[in-house]
Amino acid sequence: MGTPVGQVTGGAEPGLRASTGPPGRGRPGPALGLRRRRALLPWALLAPALAVIAALLLFPLARIVWLSFREYRLRNLVSGESDFIGPANYVTLFTDSYLWRVALPNTVGFAVVAVVSTVVLGTLVALLLARLRPVTRVVVVSCIMVAWAMPAVSGTYVWLWIFDVDDGIVAQALQGLGFLGPEGYNWFADRLFFYAVVVLNVVHGGFPFVAVTVLAGLLTVPRELHEAALLDGAGAWKRFWHVTFPVLRPVFAVVTILSTIWDFKVFAQVYLMPGGGVGGSEMLNLGVWTYVSSFGQRDYGMGSAIAVLLTLLLLAVTAVYLRALFREDELR
Amino acid sequence: MARRRIRKHVPLPAAALALTLAATACSGGGGGGGGGTDGLTVWIMQGTNPDESGFFEEVNAAFTEETGIDVEVEFVPWDGAQDKISTAIAGGTTPDVIELGNTFVPGFADAGALHDLSAYDVDTSLYVSGLMDMGAVAEGVYGVPWYASIRSMVYRTDVFEEHDLEVPRTWDELRETALEVKEAEPDMVALPVPGDAQYSVMPWIWGGGGEIAVQEDDGTWVSGVDSPEAREGIEFFTGLSTQDGTSTTGAVNWNEIDIMEAFSDGDAAIALLGSANPKAILENNPDLEGSLGSFPIPGADADTYTPSFAGGSLLSVFEGTGNEEAAWSYVEHLTAEDNMMLWAEQTGFFPGLTASVDTFTDSADPVLEAYAVQLNEASRGVPTAPAWSQVEAEKVLVGMQQAILNGTSVDEATTQAAEDIERILNGG
Repeated sequence: MGTPVGQVTGGAEPGLRASTGPPGRGRPGPALGLRRRRALLPWALLAPALAVIAALLLFPLARIVWLSFREYRLRNLVSGESDFIGPANYVTLFTDSYLWRVALPNTVGFAVVAVVSTVVLGTLVALLLARLRPVTRVVVVSCIMVAWAMPAVSGTYVWLWIFDVDDGIVAQALQGLGFLGPEGYNWFADRLFFYAVVVLNVVHGGFPFVAVTVLAGLLTVPRELHEAALLDGAGAWKRFWHVTFPVLRPVFAVVTILSTIWDFKVFAQVYLMPGGGVGGSEMLNLGVWTYVSSFGQRDYGMGSAIAVLLTLLLLAVTAVYLRALFREDELR
Repeated sequence: MARRRIRKHVPLPAAALALTLAATACSGGGGGGGGGTDGLTVWIMQGTNPDESGFFEEVNAAFTEETGIDVEVEFVPWDGAQDKISTAIAGGTTPDVIELGNTFVPGFADAGALHDLSAYDVDTSLYVSGLMDMGAVAEGVYGVPWYASIRSMVYRTDVFEEHDLEVPRTWDELRETALEVKEAEPDMVALPVPGDAQYSVMPWIWGGGGEIAVQEDDGTWVSGVDSPEAREGIEFFTGLSTQDGTSTTGAVNWNEIDIMEAFSDGDAAIALLGSANPKAILENNPDLEGSLGSFPIPGADADTYTPSFAGGSLLSVFEGTGNEEAAWSYVEHLTAEDNMMLWAEQTGFFPGLTASVDTFTDSADPVLEAYAVQLNEASRGVPTAPAWSQVEAEKVLVGMQQAILNGTSVDEATTQAAEDIERILNGG
């Protein structure tokens, strides 16, 4: 991989040499010095970004891992001193039936449903957009962008209003149609309904990204392929499955990985719902449980342990996706 | 100086937590350490009380004129206040002065977050004792009572008059009255039973003769939430919703602000509300002027009252800001008699100074009479364990109440709550 990059950057050489100053240590020979400099150049250019990532991501990540092995409560927060307690937080976490009964099923079940729904809906919208004329397409894209641009907190409150138990439009409509008695029904107390609302909310906020990304991919699929398939008598589904999908496989991999990461760690959309922030309620997922453990129960060590578990889970899922993606590339 | 101490000890967790949870970061105290303080940051809780910005403009101007110190007041919603304070401690961005709910003080004092005020010769005998008790932890004084707040029943006098209803004096009468309102005013919520309001649950535990938690001789805490007495009270209150339907399904998710808003909108007829609420309700809906009445929470039997939670706030100074002395002088300024009276008059809260309570009660709005009775004759506090604030932070009583309103049996929910309370108070 290194050589082609070097060849590509070769064109910019004179300017680069001027900017890096006179060759100092590269005595052994001009060719070697240049090559070394070329090899170092990408790293030098990446350095600022890597430094920012290290400071903003790796450092807190390392701290969270460190915290998860310590007894860390409000008192430690004030004094700054804490005791190493080994894997005690992890032992407590993995022996807690709440993890297996509530938090993990909620997180994984929700993520699977939400990712599939987001990608399917996003793809359908992208296919629709691809067929529209440019002007209409701009109008529709602008409309769905509004959903994407809506902050999670405002979006969640809008859904809460829609599903308000007493005066919400859904309750009123169902009552008007006679499907629901005048006493109403508290859907937020029912795990399935609760997460159905969260799925609606998250899919609504997440599908525009998928739609726009897939649309960009769709526009690169050669027309000839579709025309050829059409001549061979392939229907719409076959054309999508055998022509569009293989070409867009990397695009689908990317949107699926990103959606998975977002949906695993969804927070505001659950926390702000009634019962979504109460410790011990049936509605918490791993992300909210981290927060409730840390800031509600003030057990920062335990909260960190949950956060580490969530991170490892995400890394594992991402690794599986990436493997599948690279294997595809190697085969081709 | 002291601020530097905090930085020295907690830079790493502070940075980690601040970076991951940066959303609530606020500016720290304005002063730059050492002796010269030129600015103070003050956090005031916000939610069920009327608009208070005018009050602070006035008293802060007076303070700045007197001392040359600028004061910046930031309003923090009660909902989630404990999380915000913890985050601020983690990030080293605590304010200099903070209003703390009385139930919060022992926990934060015990953790070492609050400055001990006993060095300033605070005369603790001047303050309402129930509040002062929560500020005096171990040998120190970690907060000065600012105002007392109590919850009583508020009702719509026009609705009662129209349907010839009497003010109820027992639980049975309360239930019958609520049922009659429900019958007569089908569009109103006769008596909302909220799920997300723990102070609306406590009275009924006490009213039935139960205790939230008591400390045994050997120091362990035993919760009485699952005692037959407490269950009877909880059964009565939640039964208004689950059996009698005087509430509404959506109230399961209501907190005290939601009840107040329902009342402001004219949707509720009888409700358990704080003493600052009537004023806020009239601010929201001036049409209700003259239609608000109040009565102490009726007892299980006649001639008694059901005790109500005596809440209220203390003003505390954060440890390690470098501005402790200036912060204390601001606390003194706010708790001076005339400013305390001004605050009480503007909000409807009772002053934290014992001497001012009677003066205030005599001059106050008649709607507050029942509150004065409730405060003097039937008010209670929460268990004085440092870990109590964690029971609140974990929403144990809220979880219990919501479970019952959603169909869990009272026995099961109270057993769980008692277990949780004992686990937390006994340091589990």
